[in-house]
Amino acid sequence: MEIVVLGAGQVGTTIVEALHDDHDVTVVDLDAARLQALSYRYDVRTVRGNGATRRILQDAGVDRAALVIACTSRDEINLVAGTLAKKLSAAQTIVRTSNPEYIEAWQERQIDVDFMVSSELETAYAVSRTIGVPAAKQTDVFAEGQVQIVEFDVPTGELAGDVVGLPLKEAKIPADSKVASIIRGEGMLVPRGDESILPGDRIVVIGSPDAARAWSRLMAAEEQSVDDVVIYGAGATGVAIAHVLLDQRIRVRLIEPMEERAREVAEELPRARVYCATGLDPDFIERERIGQARAAVFAMREDAKNLYAATLARVHGIGFTIGIVHEPISAEVFERAGIDVAVNPRSVTAEEIVRFAHDPRIRQLAMLEGDRFEILDITVRETSKLVRIPFKELPMTGSLIGAIVRDGTAIFPHGDDRLEPDDRAIIFTESSRVAEVEKAL
Amino acid sequence: MRALRFPRPRALGVDVGSAVNLVGAVLKYLGAAFLFPAAIALGSDEPALPFLAAAAITGGTGFLVERGTRGRELVGPREGFLVVALTWLALPAFGALPYLLADEPQLARPVDAYFEAMSGFTATGATLLTDIEAVDSSLLMWRQLTQWLGGMGIIVLAVAILPRLRIGGRQLLQSELAGPTELERLSATIRETARRLWVLYLVLTLAAIAIFTVYGWTGADPAMNLYQATAHAFSTLAIGGFSTQNESAAAFAAVTQWTIVVFLVLAGVNFLRLYLVLVRGQVRAVARDDEFRLYLAFLAGGSVLLLLELLGGDLFGGEEAIRNSVFQAVSIMTTAGFATSDYTEWSALAELTLLLLMFIGASAGSTGGSIKVIRHLLMFRIIRRELEQTVHREIVVPVRLNASIVDDRAIRGIVAFIVLYIGLFALGALGLVVDARRAAVEVQSFEALGAAAACLGNVGPAFGFAGPFGSYAPFSDLSTVILTGLMWLGRLEIIPVAVLLTRGYWRG
Repeated sequence: MEIVVLGAGQVGTTIVEALHDDHDVTVVDLDAARLQALSYRYDVRTVRGNGATRRILQDAGVDRAALVIACTSRDEINLVAGTLAKKLSAAQTIVRTSNPEYIEAWQERQIDVDFMVSSELETAYAVSRTIGVPAAKQTDVFAEGQVQIVEFDVPTGELAGDVVGLPLKEAKIPADSKVASIIRGEGMLVPRGDESILPGDRIVVIGSPDAARAWSRLMAAEEQSVDDVVIYGAGATGVAIAHVLLDQRIRVRLIEPMEERAREVAEELPRARVYCATGLDPDFIERERIGQARAAVFAMREDAKNLYAATLARVHGIGFTIGIVHEPISAEVFERAGIDVAVNPRSVTAEEIVRFAHDPRIRQLAMLEGDRFEILDITVRETSKLVRIPFKELPMTGSLIGAIVRDGTAIFPHGDDRLEPDDRAIIFTESSRVAEVEKAL
Repeated sequence: MRALRFPRPRALGVDVGSAVNLVGAVLKYLGAAFLFPAAIALGSDEPALPFLAAAAITGGTGFLVERGTRGRELVGPREGFLVVALTWLALPAFGALPYLLADEPQLARPVDAYFEAMSGFTATGATLLTDIEAVDSSLLMWRQLTQWLGGMGIIVLAVAILPRLRIGGRQLLQSELAGPTELERLSATIRETARRLWVLYLVLTLAAIAIFTVYGWTGADPAMNLYQATAHAFSTLAIGGFSTQNESAAAFAAVTQWTIVVFLVLAGVNFLRLYLVLVRGQVRAVARDDEFRLYLAFLAGGSVLLLLELLGGDLFGGEEAIRNSVFQAVSIMTTAGFATSDYTEWSALAELTLLLLMFIGASAGSTGGSIKVIRHLLMFRIIRRELEQTVHREIVVPVRLNASIVDDRAIRGIVAFIVLYIGLFALGALGLVVDARRAAVEVQSFEALGAAAACLGNVGPAFGFAGPFGSYAPFSDLSTVILTGLMWLGRLEIIPVAVLLTRGYWRG
């Protein structure tokens, strides 16, 4: 298919690298030198100009394109380009942003693009995964907060509880919850009783808020469970990491040298402890017992500074260090220097975009896993053929009734429960089955 | 030819003319307030002339002052402080006229009449009357009305109705409406906000009048009638504490006393939030409010403490003990000053508890006085932050209030206010003791502390002879002046007055 990529920076380049073999790629950028470098390395067409204008988009051929990826480093350019492309063509649009508020607006369908990726959030998820804590990737709330749908990455470490590795019918799954889907690699498994959750899977769980918390505890690797993390640098990335970790009930300490920024962040994150310091002063490190933290993340703007700070932290006894790198080569430098993990925000963003682009089942409504699954909230009709049949007798398909809301109260159905007319059914389904499900109910 | 140029007088930074002009405009309208007691006087065969004369003098003076000074349409924020301070000095002066013109023997001297009027407008409730019931009913109604007018605030009323305060009223409102935080608005304009506050105040007052009157009709409270209902609704919603009865609230039935408790608790809530709850049904505005929760906790804590002390002393038992302790804790903490029993005869511990409650006060934006719950709350958080930073030097801890952040200027303002408040309280008490010795009046130091706290906090009754069924009359004239000043400072929350004493205020 034809793909238009706006932005030939690190993210754009990584995407082109992954996609140029199988697709016809056109790259748009303002910088002629970058475009030239790119066109020598890969077989791509280039257009020079501002991708947020109609003329350039048309020059790049959006009308023929199946996919438009706006991944320049500027949010607003990406947004304008993405929404323009959506209007000008039938192409799917992916927009890169650094602002979580845009993501929120997109999730609430107030921004009309097909997929939105935030470097900061993806980096935060990546960091959280390396620490061994399952980041709840996306939480959707239904029925006034009574039903939650949460996506987890199953960590590879040792896990508490009898869930991972056992067939689902034997696994001790938290009450009032169901496994809606198991995603393994590119494939997706219908969670029948004989399937089991394996480390490295991504799972989608539907259940009550209590159950969601129970799952969160279950998914925490016991051996390396980290409960205290120090983050150097409270820029957008540092704050996104702090948000994700705090949501996992991990104690977070943030170190930020700029007074004003430290204050802002302290205001934004009431549960984190924020220090206004460089974090490089041995007295400070000693006094605040920084060395006792289980892990430290270095999310300052300069790679060299991150490397120095991380090495210093290791000197003071921190066992696990994660460096955020901005130059591609830095990842190798960090690893040579003994930093445990290097995360490159641009490459994780590009990976996420490529993952979406690879998926053949691109559809209109993106809900979970980009757009592979949808969650429906349907009121059951009297005439539905599924009414009053016990759940255990319902056929197993790619869809699952995760919860029903009867008279305003959520019920998490068991085998003997039945659907009644006028129930609200919260249904998790593959996107391709939406029409089928709507008809059945 | 402009040969000669006189050096201009060193520029004054404050437009005094405009400020005085505005005070004149406010006074002009105050004249109308005297018509209410005048009507009562006509209805009960008492002389109405003092009120009519006071109305003429007040309205006339206001008119002349407004005419005689040149005023700009808009007063700036700087003039605002002066307007508020002057208005609150001038109001009691004119409000005292009926006491003097009616030849009320207990308030025959100007200094005494001024004290009584100041105690009225500031909704304090301290009185120089030793026999309240001997005073004409119309004069007593005026005394109650001053509390009602001052409770929600004269300036708030002026902003609501004076056309010239359509804009620029914000600073004025901020200075008069109690509380340290930024004024929240109920609507787009400050004037509409002021209007809604007054309408809510009026509606609550009418509700109280109606309920009290029903108690009278149905015989639930034989001492109640329309006159008493109106008089006590005025001083209850204003959290004032004046009563027409020598025995204050003790003259009424238990059901009336409980109703007073309910209305005092309501009037002690931030009216901006009360409006959101009662008019817009946003219960969260109060239920999730840090200040409101602490306010209730203080009220409950004070009540329980008093109850334990009362039960220990077997003065009362059963319902009576509960009612007296709850009533007194609410009345003193919200800074009303009503009494159902002479608490000076309880125990020393109970008296000390009440003295401490005087320093808590009601909520910001309520009609109550004193330090106010919000400042206690924030002070606690400021201290907690200080302690945290002592151990962790670099840590950044914002001071939060509900979901928002309290900025550093507001924090400094709170600390400054509390220091000034305690300082004034100490100086006032000291002044009272020294003056009492000079004038050979017997004043115990606890009584002096109590009187200073009760006046500065706009509570009213104190201890000893100035107790709830007593009177401030034994104090010498100088002490009376000191106490009058404390009421004035307390009502305006010190800072707008203290600002006037700085040189920077007057400079260009």
